[in-house]
Amino acid sequence: HKHKHKHKHKHKHTSTTMESAKPEKEKKPKKDIVIPPKKPKLSKAERRALQESQRAAKAEAADGGNASKKSSQLQQQSSPSDGNEANEKKNGNGNGNGNGASSDENMEGSSRNDTLTFFSHLPPYKDHRKIKDFSGVKLSSSSNSNLHPAVHALGLQYADGSIRGANSRCKAMFKTFQKVIQDYTLPLDTKKDYRQDLENRVLKPSFTYWTTKCRIHSVTMGNAFTFLKLAVANLGRDMVLEDVKSILCEGMDAYIHERIDFADVAICKYGSSKIMNGDVILTYAKNELIQMLLSNLDREKKKIRVILVDSRPLLEGKDMLQELMDAGVECTYILLNSLSYVMKEVTKVFLGASALMSDGSVLSRVGTATVAMMARSHNVPVLVCCETFKISNRVQLESITGNELGDPDDLMPPSLSLEEWKSSRGEHLRLVNLLYDLTPNEFVSGIVTEMGILPPTSVAVLLREMNPQDSGFKEEEF
Amino acid sequence: MMGLEMELKKASEEMLSFANDPLNSHMLGGRSHIALASGCELFLKYITRCFLELPDFNECMAQILSRGQRFSDISLAARDRIAATGKAFIQPGARVLTHGWSSVVSSLLIQAAEDTHFEVIVLEGRPDASGAKAAKNFARAGIPATVVLDSAMAYVMERVDLVIVGAEGVVENGGIINKVGTYAMAIAAKELGKPFYVAAESFKFARLYPLNQSDLPVLGKGVAEHLNFVDTACWLSTGGMVGSRQKNGGDEKDEEHVPGLVSLPEDVKVENVLCDYTPAKYITLLLTDLGVLTPSAVSDELIRLYQ
Repeated sequence: HKHKHKHKHKHKHTSTTMESAKPEKEKKPKKDIVIPPKKPKLSKAERRALQESQRAAKAEAADGGNASKKSSQLQQQSSPSDGNEANEKKNGNGNGNGNGASSDENMEGSSRNDTLTFFSHLPPYKDHRKIKDFSGVKLSSSSNSNLHPAVHALGLQYADGSIRGANSRCKAMFKTFQKVIQDYTLPLDTKKDYRQDLENRVLKPSFTYWTTKCRIHSVTMGNAFTFLKLAVANLGRDMVLEDVKSILCEGMDAYIHERIDFADVAICKYGSSKIMNGDVILTYAKNELIQMLLSNLDREKKKIRVILVDSRPLLEGKDMLQELMDAGVECTYILLNSLSYVMKEVTKVFLGASALMSDGSVLSRVGTATVAMMARSHNVPVLVCCETFKISNRVQLESITGNELGDPDDLMPPSLSLEEWKSSRGEHLRLVNLLYDLTPNEFVSGIVTEMGILPPTSVAVLLREMNPQDSGFKEEEF
Repeated sequence: MMGLEMELKKASEEMLSFANDPLNSHMLGGRSHIALASGCELFLKYITRCFLELPDFNECMAQILSRGQRFSDISLAARDRIAATGKAFIQPGARVLTHGWSSVVSSLLIQAAEDTHFEVIVLEGRPDASGAKAAKNFARAGIPATVVLDSAMAYVMERVDLVIVGAEGVVENGGIINKVGTYAMAIAAKELGKPFYVAAESFKFARLYPLNQSDLPVLGKGVAEHLNFVDTACWLSTGGMVGSRQKNGGDEKDEEHVPGLVSLPEDVKVENVLCDYTPAKYITLLLTDLGVLTPSAVSDELIRLYQ
């Protein structure tokens, strides 16, 4: 220990003498010192949150055996779990979080420790029933009670899954923000910059509330929110409030129309140019864009068959199946298990995306990567339909680092009731209900965007052209 | 200005439909019109951009005419630029494999022959004997050339050091469309670890995105039925080795007279495809007048060219 300390000191000394003009050098981690886990970087609020979660665990130890397991686990695996918890908070923070809210997050979400430590960096599933209780007692931090009621309403819809899907969540967010901005009043202190006030008092807390209390935000919501913040920052300092409101609302409408609605029309045009008469198209789960593409084909010239693959527990494909059948498309419906059986008939695969990484890998509903891999092994081309506003400047190498955990109880077999399920599980069963997965860019033949069909390697170029504010290397902070 | 654009568009469409007409296919030398189409589209794009910059009609016209002249100069100069960068890839004593007749590849190899000593293996190139034509050119330029059957491609692949081909068109994902047989050559080269280079000018970059072989634009639809390659080898490519009579199909009697001639009955279908699509993953590098590009850089260039 002492030796290390001396060594560190020596290094610092030499670097300062050699490069006195470059203070950044000292920040770089030294090669021979093990980089410690995030533990020392806990801020005061985070340390408090950690204490509170441990306290909550101890409180639940009075109720049942489960929580005692958790608290003992917490004590046993001291540094890794602290590191993990801190990571969890860090990730929770990095994913759009104010510092003060993390304490509430832990108390509401982690009533049981069902997930593997493998996934413990992901925020645990938040039970939406706990959010519904609006009595003032539950909403512990005062900032939440200042939120517009529309924000609470939307948050509920996010949490219980009534609004699902990258596009829907983004559109709903902008609709709500339009309402909020219409009801905005200037701060009492007239010296305050209204733009800062709008962003820090109204917009950011709403976004933080949704992300931390309801459901973690999607990449689309993140990109749209960045756009909104930029729009606010670009407003003139001395603008009339009415003008501000109309500019912002029109800007949001324009964003939705151009980047989503019109983009969808263009994507359908490019996508349908790749569909030939007699094709057998395979698609997975539910995607409004693919649904639009397949329903609006000129059925005189292009007679196709659609194979719809679905999977538990969400079974989102059922809605899509109904819509396609109503549109008169000939459909076959299978579950993911029979995929290898039908793949030899398939001529093309069309998939939707929740987000597009800048190396061309696709983040989408869990199971998409399986479909793409299977198609690749049968030499079936895979086309991913994705608007450019879904491009994230992140690069993810696999599905684990950036994912979302759903309700573990959804994995319950349909034959059991909830009570039977809970009692039969025992202490050794861990449940992991992942919602997303990452399809590597090797499995993707082409990405259909409103700019045309592109190879996955060109997504970075698109990011530069279409989302210039995102392509710079800067930390995301909400 | 819009009027001019409309007329040019009509003119290019006229040219393309002419090229598409099976009766005219022999004028194109049996090759595809992709380069023609992409060249026209690029020029039209330039006109639109020019009009936006110079609203005055006369200035714009002058600019366009000079650009048009530059365009033709560029395509000739492009060949030289490609040859200048490309010849560095040929080491002394190398054996180069090539396919079909490409003026770009020929100029590259002939210029390289001035600096280094190497030999060339050419595939015969049925049904238009393009390979034979290429071999003739190489021999005249003093490069030792060997001609082998198209089917002997994989057989010779282990002997060669690198493969260089031209392209009819370069598509958006970095793949190429070239004379049929290029795809097979690319697969064999990848399997045996030989680098596969493509020499193509930038005006050949087309806004196509083929997903597989059947996704190619239909090239000269009637040509397939027109060129009956079973006959061609006997009469046209080999200089009438088997006899000087011109015959289409024929009956049983001719098989006695002409050794090696097989006349096919009506119900046997003949599919004579001109071009195939080589996906980007088999291509090592593209030698273009914009520089040496990896296949994934093609899309970036296309986005810039067609912006």
